[in-house]
Amino acid sequence: MKTILAALALSTALVLPGLALARPVTLTTTLNNYGGNGAYLAFYVSDASGAYMGSLWMAGGKSKYYGHLTDWHRVTAGDLSQINGITGASVGAGRRLEITLDLADALFDAGYTLHIDAAVEDMRESPNEVAVPLTTDGAGNSVRGRRYIADFNYSM
Amino acid sequence: MKTILSAIALFAAIPVGAAMADSDDCNVSSSNWQSREAVTRMASEKGWTVHELKVDDGCYELEGRDRGGRRIEVAIHPATLQVMDVEYEDDDDRGNARNAAPAGTVAPPKNGLFGNGAPPKVQQN
Repeated sequence: MKTILAALALSTALVLPGLALARPVTLTTTLNNYGGNGAYLAFYVSDASGAYMGSLWMAGGKSKYYGHLTDWHRVTAGDLSQINGITGASVGAGRRLEITLDLADALFDAGYTLHIDAAVEDMRESPNEVAVPLTTDGAGNSVRGRRYIADFNYSM
Repeated sequence: MKTILSAIALFAAIPVGAAMADSDDCNVSSSNWQSREAVTRMASEKGWTVHELKVDDGCYELEGRDRGGRRIEVAIHPATLQVMDVEYEDDDDRGNARNAAPAGTVAPPKNGLFGNGAPPKVQQN
């Protein structure tokens, strides 16, 4: 029995490093006090050529508003399967959203860009509010958005 | 014959879709706007309770409840007071058929961006 357990432990140790091609990454987004309702935010990734790769998070649960996240909506056609399991509440003015995701290592230092589209009811839409290259060196660097995001950074 | 009827039905449906697509924007000069009182009077005639009346994309936007008590959001043409669009606010809350599955209820999508499918951790301060 001990031999089996030892063999199992050894094989697990050998196999897991191969599978551990991901790491927890925390995306921290702080909104400024724009004085409106909660913001819808779409987090998504494009490759070096600008082609949409996939979504990381959708802040805001009602799909009828997704059309206001114009760039995200254009590349996904509003396909809800893109954001199943990665959708949460909209973010209030002045609030901070922290999302920790298990992201593939291959996303970093490979020419990928993280985009955030933002929209607020009765206020101007802000596609590509933030666009930051995903690099290990860029972790922890703060970026300001164009209209609603006071500060964004990712850490790992 | 059925094919012809189907084709006619399809073409007949297209202008409706186009009209709906345009329904978000009203383009009326301010001198042609009817008063807010006229809007609330029209709403009252329909049996609606008005909670809020505002302007969105150049149209009146009324939030309230219909005769049956359902929450509604109505886009109204400011010159003709024609009802351009009615949204029932509970449509999106009834089940998740038309919304994405919230985080934690299903695994993240297999789009190559995520590692082992661990659910996201979310915090809002």
